Amino acid sequence: MKRSFFHLLTVLTVTSGLVSIHTAQAQAAKAGVQEFDPQAFPGQVVDDVVVPVPSEVFSVLDKLGEPNWQQELREIDFPKTGDRTKLALQFGMTVAEGFVAVQAEDKETVKDIGRDVIDLATALGLIKSVRPHAQAILDAADKGDWASIRKEFDQTQKTVRDTMEQMKDADLSQCVSMGGWLRGTASVTSVVSKNFNPDRAELLNQPMLVEHFISTIGKMGSSVKEHGNVSDISKGLKDILGKMEGAVDGFTKDAVRDIGKTCDTLLSGITAAK
Amino acid sequence: MRLFSCSRAFTLALVASIALPAFATVDDAHSFAMEAAVPFVEQGFIVREDYWNGEVKSGQKLMIKHQMFKGNEYAFWLGSANEDVTFELKVYDDKNKEITIDSKADKMFASMRVNPPKTGTYTIVFSVTSKKEKGIYWALAYGYR
Repeated sequence: MKRSFFHLLTVLTVTSGLVSIHTAQAQAAKAGVQEFDPQAFPGQVVDDVVVPVPSEVFSVLDKLGEPNWQQELREIDFPKTGDRTKLALQFGMTVAEGFVAVQAEDKETVKDIGRDVIDLATALGLIKSVRPHAQAILDAADKGDWASIRKEFDQTQKTVRDTMEQMKDADLSQCVSMGGWLRGTASVTSVVSKNFNPDRAELLNQPMLVEHFISTIGKMGSSVKEHGNVSDISKGLKDILGKMEGAVDGFTKDAVRDIGKTCDTLLSGITAAK
Repeated sequence: MRLFSCSRAFTLALVASIALPAFATVDDAHSFAMEAAVPFVEQGFIVREDYWNGEVKSGQKLMIKHQMFKGNEYAFWLGSANEDVTFELKVYDDKNKEITIDSKADKMFASMRVNPPKTGTYTIVFSVTSKKEKGIYWALAYGYR
């Protein structure tokens, strides 16, 4: 996110209709009405999207019941690859798995995932920046310090994404986010499907994030955009967006299951050798 | 030659010190946002590592779209690296109604809380206004519990 000075270059300035907007604002302020018209927003729209970490959704699921997070853990066995796009997707997926392991309060799995993080970071050539976080995850797992582990997983992902962006690998940075979102969403659909109710299902109402990912893929360089996993994700996300937009009166059990199936299929592709 | 270099360096330093507050950076803005977060962390909020930041004209409004989940409580912290500024920080729902609660401001930061009534996309609108500076460094971070 640290695009600092250049941030101004990435925002869209909306300048039309300033006079009428000022008048409307003055009237609104006078009437004490706390509403605004985004179409007539007299400022800058920041395009950057902060993608929620899985634990943001998991914490709500915990409040709505007591999911069996242990059941949601999946063994991941990545085949060796030098494909950086696949590695970036796998990295995001692994960190998301780490959040599931924290929710399950499973020390050994957290440690295994910490070691997977080291392996993937090494393969991506990012071990120098990731090692302190991975070590902190392993140390905190010994102490059962779940809050610290959660924080370190978030920091690990941010560090990797920032480093990729510094290395002009912004597309790979987005792949990390997508891999994480897919794994997190797969967990949410699995928990919701096991004990369906509309409040839980509503957590899948995330069309802005899906649109963001679809748009991001559209802007990627051809080497990443045309990667088999990424083009599959693009198609899958369009299906998921259709389900989200179709859930005007709430998500049905079938819609939740379908979103879960799509995520699972995409994740299988990411873990496959080719 | 040496004299020229020294005077040139002095001039550049002087120009830089007029153009921007001494050593102010977007990182400072984030540090102030994190200072605003401290009392919230004590109340159980988990701070996200990702955040938005940049430089903007004083008083210019900025708009950010953000995903929130019903059932979580969110806190947003807006920090600036510039002194003597005033903050505006609000959140609107999909019907463009303000849902901000408990907003507070200090010298270098502002904070507010939100209890999203639904899971979905929300709009954060904010500005930082200075009487002295034209350009403002800002950072917006958030946490949840």
